[in-house]
Amino acid sequence: MNAERETWKERIDAALHSAGSARPAPGLEGRILTRLAAERAAVEARPVRMGLFARMSGFAAPVLGVATASLICAVIVVGSVEHSRTRHPGRVAPPVLVLPGHGLGAASAVHPAGPATAPLAAGPGSRGRFTRHLSHPRAHIAPNAKKADGVVVPAPETNPQN
Amino acid sequence: MSCFEGQLAGWGAPAPVANALDTSLDTSQTIAALVADYSTALYRVAFSVTRNAAEAEDAVQETFLRVLKHQSRLGEIRDYRVWLVRIVWNIVLDRKRRAKTRPENEDLADHARVLPSGEFGADQNVISSQEHARILALIDRLPRREREAILLSAVEELTTAEIASVLATTESSIRSRIFRARRELSVLLEREGISR
Repeated sequence: MNAERETWKERIDAALHSAGSARPAPGLEGRILTRLAAERAAVEARPVRMGLFARMSGFAAPVLGVATASLICAVIVVGSVEHSRTRHPGRVAPPVLVLPGHGLGAASAVHPAGPATAPLAAGPGSRGRFTRHLSHPRAHIAPNAKKADGVVVPAPETNPQN
Repeated sequence: MSCFEGQLAGWGAPAPVANALDTSLDTSQTIAALVADYSTALYRVAFSVTRNAAEAEDAVQETFLRVLKHQSRLGEIRDYRVWLVRIVWNIVLDRKRRAKTRPENEDLADHARVLPSGEFGADQNVISSQEHARILALIDRLPRREREAILLSAVEELTTAEIASVLATTESSIRSRIFRARRELSVLLEREGISR
């Protein structure tokens, strides 16, 4: 058994030796140097194409990049702020709520037009948006339903002196 | 970061250590000296994995092309032999990984050519080369770590310390891997019953 093991070891050694002591075909160095020379010549013959950033030296490229990014950020911030401050003169101002002197908040506010004293009657063309039939208890949208035109709000008070 | 740059970072040293090459030589002369000194060793490393003469030579040429591409960093290299072996090793492993789906392309003529001439007759050479090819094919079935260690140990020019550097591990680890590889290979050989 040991003799057989030794035989295996010798065979393994021989196989490894055959792989590890391989001889290249003659002229390997010459072929490598020829290929290197060809590659070097090809690199030198290749036109140099340099981009804007490649042409910049030292810290110019990173500085320019940071400056561009900062400018873009500034434009975004200024534009956003300006947009939020823009007035739209054509639009109706929201209703003004006048708080009574003893009120605590919007719940006790009194609208200048005053609350309605009676339920408002529907207009001639107005109908309920939903109809419900006894036979079909499920609610359906009326075919000629029409939304109210909106709430009439008073125009904002303007000071003639301004 | 590319594989090559990673290797550069790994093998680069701030203080250059004594090297066989004269640092006063310009890069083209340095590369030519590297080709003269290490091309055969690199070929053997490549051949141990590819077992194909053409592929091994192509891998060696690719290695020196990478050196040429990064020639400006040659001065940072501490140990050229280990550095070059690591490059060619990565190249052949990468190619082998990519060629996994392709059929084996071992060339028995290559095995016959590497056998020492004059020891056996032509018939004996062919039989030996076939047996070596089968044993080397069994090495491919070993676990990766053991396989890599035993293949690099086959290259005569490489010491255990250099193999450890190439595989980024310790010498004792390399020795134990080689021991395990040989033991498992013996088991495989017995199981396969390769005829004597």
